[in-house]
Amino acid sequence: MMEEKETVATLAETPKERNKPGLGARFKREKAPAGGDGLTPEGPTLSRGERFRRGLRSQSGWLFVTPALILMAVFTFYPIIAAFVGSFQQQYNGMTGTFNGWGFDNFIRVLKGDTGTGGANFVQCLVNTLLLTFVSVPLSTLLALLISVALNSIKRVQKLYQTVFFLPYLTNALAMGAVFATFFKIIGTPNNTDTVGIVNIVLGWFGIKPIDWVGLQSPHWQLGKLNIPWAKYIVTIIYEVWSGLPFKILILFSAMQSINKQYYDAAKVDGASRWTVLWHITAPMIMPQISYLLVTGIMGGMKQYSAIVGLFGETMGMNYDMGTMVGYLYNYIGLGQTGYAYAGSLILFVIIMIITWINNLITKKRTTY
Amino acid sequence: MRISIQHLTKIFPSRTKGGEAVHAVEDMNIEIPSGQLVGLLGPSGCGKSTTLFMLSGLESPTSGKILFDDQDVTTLAAEKRGIGLVFQNYALYPHMTVEQNIRFPLDNMRIKKEEGNARALDAARLVQIEDLMSRKPNELSGGQQQRVAIARALVKMPNVLLLDEPLSNLDARLRLQTREEIKRIQRTTGITTVFVTHDQEEAMSICDTMVVMKLGVVQQIGAPQDIYDDPNNLFVANFLGTPPINIFKGYTEGGKVYIGGEAVAEAPASCGYENREVYVGIRPEGFIYDAEGAFTLRVDHIEVMGRDKSVVSVHECSTKPTVRSIIDSDVMLPPDAETLRFNIKPYKLFLFDAETEERLR
Repeated sequence: MMEEKETVATLAETPKERNKPGLGARFKREKAPAGGDGLTPEGPTLSRGERFRRGLRSQSGWLFVTPALILMAVFTFYPIIAAFVGSFQQQYNGMTGTFNGWGFDNFIRVLKGDTGTGGANFVQCLVNTLLLTFVSVPLSTLLALLISVALNSIKRVQKLYQTVFFLPYLTNALAMGAVFATFFKIIGTPNNTDTVGIVNIVLGWFGIKPIDWVGLQSPHWQLGKLNIPWAKYIVTIIYEVWSGLPFKILILFSAMQSINKQYYDAAKVDGASRWTVLWHITAPMIMPQISYLLVTGIMGGMKQYSAIVGLFGETMGMNYDMGTMVGYLYNYIGLGQTGYAYAGSLILFVIIMIITWINNLITKKRTTY
Repeated sequence: MRISIQHLTKIFPSRTKGGEAVHAVEDMNIEIPSGQLVGLLGPSGCGKSTTLFMLSGLESPTSGKILFDDQDVTTLAAEKRGIGLVFQNYALYPHMTVEQNIRFPLDNMRIKKEEGNARALDAARLVQIEDLMSRKPNELSGGQQQRVAIARALVKMPNVLLLDEPLSNLDARLRLQTREEIKRIQRTTGITTVFVTHDQEEAMSICDTMVVMKLGVVQQIGAPQDIYDDPNNLFVANFLGTPPINIFKGYTEGGKVYIGGEAVAEAPASCGYENREVYVGIRPEGFIYDAEGAFTLRVDHIEVMGRDKSVVSVHECSTKPTVRSIIDSDVMLPPDAETLRFNIKPYKLFLFDAETEERLR
């Protein structure tokens, strides 16, 4: 919003500036307003009509941003405010629009997992989201970096590889999730005689018994109230890494191509190994792009949802054990418990803000030269 | 370290199908004695940078050999040749401080931290940037960046120092300073140094040996003064000297050199080239004002430099629009003269074959 205001201010000032005596004013004589003679624009005698026109022009910037302002007010600001207000309304009833006093009840119940609806557990969703994000985003960025370096060092079929690596980017997340699920699936009950997906077939070659990666019998660890469905985590992380690669490769590869070749020549003369070149020259030089990918990747990771639905269905695993933060919100909206959804979204908002703030602190240090 | 270049050739294949391959360097033969400062000089596209990169190992030659002392390094990788290379735009790593930049080659050689620090500091002292060690390259001026690049090249104590157009990115004043600096550093370290330049003045002023190149072919090798005084062909004569040499179309007849009907000098006694067309090159400082002189020039205007003055005149046989002759400022010229007569110093006059442009001695 701040940006918008600044734009308005500069727009509004431009006409006034033109009237200041100076080179601009003199050379733009023919464009000067009809009321003045163009040479002495600061002249005291301006007609009423001219003054009105100028006044209008100085405010005309507002006119241009108004459509955007209206749309944002309706679709952005109002929902934010409504969610904020709604999160403090206890036991809101969607049918009657009534609620039972103001307070932090929604937040307390969300955090305690005491919603009494059989919906997703907030802490479970938070842990899932953080874990998946902070494993898959750095992993896929690192992989993208290595692939980009490899891509950068080949000459012949570079274009072909570029296309191949970019293809997943053009595919729908739900569809990809469904395909991934079949890779990992066991159809029927999980014993050795059942039809299994390609992953289990391959594992079978190494004597590993089929694992129900995505189904109801999926192995997991129990940590107190918390469920750690590690098999599903692995599937999700593989999926996230793979689907995150194309965009990251695109960004890093093009950044690498713009590095001056002389740096590499210099490094070669200086006896740097390939490894040294990668970590001491290439990576620092594309640090702005890397940190951009990390920041946007983490933000995107915090909001992941559709991939989970694609992989594990609408219930996000068994009893929402693969639920994410956004999944949590959808879940409670679906249950008609908007108060919990609002509270959850506010908590998500605060968490994303904190992470972004930390991100900024780190990247500012690392990318300025 | 002695450098020996034998039959060095570099051919770049053409980019388009059926296009012509580019002969960047052709059959180059140079012997560079140890500890010398050698300048590769030529107009752009003459293959001098390609030669330098072949010496560094970043380019591999199509054929021919490069020997450091008696070791054949033709196929040796760049990092194993023991060379220091300074790039035209310095190629300092922008994310590293000056110290890290200088230390980078040492870190790659896995040299211990204390020793590395000491050597980095020594190299920095040599080029007088020891106060700037914690800065980043973009906080330095062009001249300082240049010094950092030299320090980085010197820190690993190379056998050969290679500089690609080391002064081209500096302003005129800094250029004068830096070229003396390069000379000083080369003297102090005694490292065999090869540098590339298109600026003949730069090369003349600091080189021990100069190699003049044109279109990949070496034209002449020698001490700057020797090449200036005794050019092999028209190209070399033309390329060296500011202001440049004056070239006239002339002919020889009866043992004399004629320009536009005036016998300006004796033809070289030994040559026996009678009655043929020649190019006559006369250095600007080769004119002696003489009211009875043999060579007449129509004066356009006179430029006063203080130390000397230069007479800018025209002549119908000149291949350039104007003829420039430099006269001592204490020689009094008749005011408002339309024509002036000169005698020519015989050792400032060169004859070149009109066809081959080779020198006639």
